Amino acid sequence: MTQRDLEQIIIGCKRGDEACFSQLVEIYGKRCFGYFFRLTGSRTTSDDLLSELFVKLVEKIGTYRGGSFDGWLFATASNIFHDHLRFRQRQTRLLDEHSRRIMSQPASTERQDDGDVDKLQVALRELDGDVRELIMMRYYSQLSFKEISQLRREPIGTTLSKVHRGLKRLRELME
Amino acid sequence: MNDSAKENLRELLAGFMDAGSAGQAAEDIERGDALLRQWSAPQPGDAVLAEVKKKVAAVARRRHRIALQRRIWAAAGMAAAIVIVSVLALRLSERQPVERTTIKYTAAIPERVWEGSDITKDDADIVVLAAEVETIENELSGVQLSDTGGNGSTAAGDIETELIEISGNFWKG
Repeated sequence: MTQRDLEQIIIGCKRGDEACFSQLVEIYGKRCFGYFFRLTGSRTTSDDLLSELFVKLVEKIGTYRGGSFDGWLFATASNIFHDHLRFRQRQTRLLDEHSRRIMSQPASTERQDDGDVDKLQVALRELDGDVRELIMMRYYSQLSFKEISQLRREPIGTTLSKVHRGLKRLRELME
Repeated sequence: MNDSAKENLRELLAGFMDAGSAGQAAEDIERGDALLRQWSAPQPGDAVLAEVKKKVAAVARRRHRIALQRRIWAAAGMAAAIVIVSVLALRLSERQPVERTTIKYTAAIPERVWEGSDITKDDADIVVLAAEVETIENELSGVQLSDTGGNGSTAAGDIETELIEISGNFWKG
């Protein structure tokens, strides 16, 4: 699919064409799901976040003013993931309080789908949250370092350094 | 990979470190990318994608309907505004002839006298003067009709002078 094709689809989406939205789900659905799955480790949560992302896309497509659509979409995906993290943190605090009260172990708040958790997922958990998100953003969004650094509003040297150290550490963990 | 594959990693990294270190860092990143490709994430089920499409279509439909309703309300509002402005403009234009009528009533001569055909009711002086004017007119007619042999023109001139004088007195009150 060419850039021109994508532009036509986006124009259709801005007009409210349902078929164009379906095409976007077809094009980006798998990559966005992979991004959410590698960050949450849960298929169920990833399904929910994917659904939330595309609903948000319908609501916010009017605010897209050109430039990298992948960058815009993955910035939205990142915001959704961070909202999810905040929700989970609130949930964890409540559950911890409850656990202390009943003198039991804290319960896990993110249900991990063990059937899908592979060696990479285990290794990813060992990385710093910010680095893990950065690596996944770069891999699934297919954005360049320059675009990612602009998206994250940080110097390109910082982005390069984080990705380099993160991937090196990941490889060490996997070996 | 599209954009990230297009960039020259070694060149990019060389801007921050020496050539040797840049080469090593680029190799680390490329091997890391290969690892991620090797351990690809599971794919979403077809049912999940179908469900997402369904949800997205429903939201798009709802938004389209809301947008349409907003446009209708905006058009209705605009039409109402036009009607209100038109009604106000009509009312304002209707008031203008009334003002002109008021100016008409400020005339120096009272309408009763101006419009009245029976002057005997208006003013007793007017009756007297009107009778005099009538008498003189009759005399003038008589003089003009009778053949007086050259004096007729002088008498007619006297009567005309008298008539002008009476008419002047009449208008002076």
